[in-house]
Amino acid sequence: MIQIQNLTKKFGNFTAVDDLNLQVESGELFGFLGPNGAGKTTTVKIISGIMSPTSGGVYVDGVSVARDPVLAKSRIAYIPDEPFVYPHLTGWEFLRLMGDLYSVDVDAQLKEIPALIETFELKEVADELLQSYSHGMKQKLLIASVLLRKPRVILFDEPTVGLDPKSIKKFKDLIAEQTRKGVSVFMCTHILDMAEKLCNRVGIIYRGKLAACGTTEEIKKHAGLDGNLEDIFLKITADE
Amino acid sequence: MFFILLKRKLLGVKNVLSGITFWKAAKNSIFLFAGLLLLLSLYFTFYKLLKYLDGVELIGTMLIWKLTSIVFLMSFSMIVISSIIISMTTLYYSFDLKFLFSTPLNSRTLFMDKAADTVLYSSWTLVLALMPYIAALIYVKKLGPAFFFSYLLLLAPFIMMAAAFGLIFSLLVMYLFPSSRTRDITWLMGSLSIALVYVAFRFSKPEKLIRPDTLEIVAQYINYLQSPTVEYLPSWWLTKAMMAFSGGHYVVFLQYAGWLFLACLALYSFLYFLSGRLYPAGFSGAQNTPKFSGGRTQSFENRLLPAYPGLRGFLLVFLKERRNFSRDVRYWSQIILIIALIFVYLFSIKNLPLDTAEMKSFVSFLNIGIVGFVLSAICLRFIFPSLSLEGNTFWLLKSSPLSMESVFNSKLVFYSAPLTAMGFLLISFSNYLLSADLFISSVSIFTIIVMSFVMSAMGMGFGGAFPDFKVENIHQIESSYGGFVFMASAMGYVALTIGIFAWPVQMHFMSRFNSAYPFEWRWFYFCVAVFLALSFFAALVPWKIGLKNMEKYEI
Repeated sequence: MIQIQNLTKKFGNFTAVDDLNLQVESGELFGFLGPNGAGKTTTVKIISGIMSPTSGGVYVDGVSVARDPVLAKSRIAYIPDEPFVYPHLTGWEFLRLMGDLYSVDVDAQLKEIPALIETFELKEVADELLQSYSHGMKQKLLIASVLLRKPRVILFDEPTVGLDPKSIKKFKDLIAEQTRKGVSVFMCTHILDMAEKLCNRVGIIYRGKLAACGTTEEIKKHAGLDGNLEDIFLKITADE
Repeated sequence: MFFILLKRKLLGVKNVLSGITFWKAAKNSIFLFAGLLLLLSLYFTFYKLLKYLDGVELIGTMLIWKLTSIVFLMSFSMIVISSIIISMTTLYYSFDLKFLFSTPLNSRTLFMDKAADTVLYSSWTLVLALMPYIAALIYVKKLGPAFFFSYLLLLAPFIMMAAAFGLIFSLLVMYLFPSSRTRDITWLMGSLSIALVYVAFRFSKPEKLIRPDTLEIVAQYINYLQSPTVEYLPSWWLTKAMMAFSGGHYVVFLQYAGWLFLACLALYSFLYFLSGRLYPAGFSGAQNTPKFSGGRTQSFENRLLPAYPGLRGFLLVFLKERRNFSRDVRYWSQIILIIALIFVYLFSIKNLPLDTAEMKSFVSFLNIGIVGFVLSAICLRFIFPSLSLEGNTFWLLKSSPLSMESVFNSKLVFYSAPLTAMGFLLISFSNYLLSADLFISSVSIFTIIVMSFVMSAMGMGFGGAFPDFKVENIHQIESSYGGFVFMASAMGYVALTIGIFAWPVQMHFMSRFNSAYPFEWRWFYFCVAVFLALSFFAALVPWKIGLKNMEKYEI
């Protein structure tokens, strides 16, 4: 479970996130939407612990990210929008490193890594250096590492960029499986169709403030609009 | 089209300059001041040398021009090697190449744009370093400003031709062996060449030129040769042109200047023609990544993990660092240069003209400062940049359940252990070559061991206090403001250490010369305590600052 309480982040005079309050339950897939520069990536970075808030706090399964970052991070798996990985490690070595960092039992790693490599069709390149991987292959490797870590919370920032249609389908299935296991998934995306179909709830952030939050139906009702999520999104984020 | 490309560079420079804040301007001024001091000290060194040579009867002027031709030849060779290394990046791996190749630009135009970058990057330091030499030459030989301007005029084709050789080499080699592995091998060979030029130059004992007892041999040598220094290279044409200008033989000057300009024009015409045929094929091939087959065996760090779960972060960062270091060619080329430096250093120590045992022991003590300088330079190259070189993968460490302290500890152990071993070997060999006495040997070995560890901690600390995750190579980090502050602090620490031990060393020599001055051990222990206290704070303060900065650092 993720609890975001009165979260504010300022860069000088600019307020990127403004008094954000949000809760993502266990087993929930939450879609976080917003135009470019609205504060999505900043929010996800703060939840992951790689950025500090100006005020307010984030709790992961009741653990404060600011007060006990190591424990909180051991429950989180974060994938940024750009899949930067160590270029001089092989795919296999990278997965082993991630497994070890997140204290996954060695026997379990040796059993699961080959299966994950198979699932994500990385078998041919698993022993090659990551510098030779394409963007999509790195993305798949990171998603595989998330599944290996068995986190309580998964944070995705534009997870399907660079993935081929087959991998996107696989990704959707795997996310659904994770939520069934009780994992909270927080996903920033621009693909409104995917958010509408996959997410239990969505939040729309605009100029740092949470402009709307709830199920698609709830948001429609609240905005007094018919149509799909795209129409509502465009209405909410239209400049006054 | 070339000028449109040039305009984008000028716009970039203009925007950088207009964006300079007061703080940045202050930082740059410090850099500029340090650079000017360095150039000034070079000027005085060259002035002393040239003044001395000029004073030698009969052959003074000849010696000066012989030395000038050697200086030009060395500069030419260094620019050729630099351009080989640099052109591999500028021509094939610049960040904007994929974009530029997708635009409707002629590949020849694109090549010339990148060639201009190569000429600039491979020559600017040597051009700067030559300035004090030329200034000293003008002052000693009483040559006017016209000489300087004529030199500047000829410098352009000279450096352009040197860089052209590197460009031709890169074009051909990437066309024939189109792979990113070619770049790695070229980098290694380039570093090896620089190392060999450096070692060969030092082993030729250039100090003989300024030693009166060997001047007769030098004169005989020059008289015997009576021939130019590599006649068909532009370095000799430049020397002849400048010699002619200084003697007022303007027709000869124009003849050699004409050679330089015509040869340069011919060379770049050839390059322009060649690039159209070879550059697109080479660029396409450079995108290929060689196959690497890694094993899946358990590393020793993996095997230690179950027994020491508390060291999880430490062991895993150590493993990552070890694998990265052994597979990144950039580090290998640095190591080749360091090995060359060590050879030259030990050779110089061996050839120091020291007669008495006391003098040898005294130099062994001062040698702590030299070894300290070498260690700090290595820290600047390897330890200080180690955090910044995490680059855009830093998010992996930052989002992992690792404390930043374990990252720091791991990197410290990884780098300080070989550094300490190297410091120990350097000082022990130097002491052996200098036949230092037991007391001096013990003090210097103890000091260097402590110093190695302290400097490693300082390197980590300053690296954390001044991180830059956006840099493209180690040189940018080294030459940054943080690198400058680290070097200044490390050298300050070395100077204070020498100062602290100067007292017991003085007592040691006094007691050897005259028994009326006994060696007082309590003062010696006091100095050791002061040194240890200094070392403790020199390591702790930057370490804490760097660690705190990295803990709160936001990506």
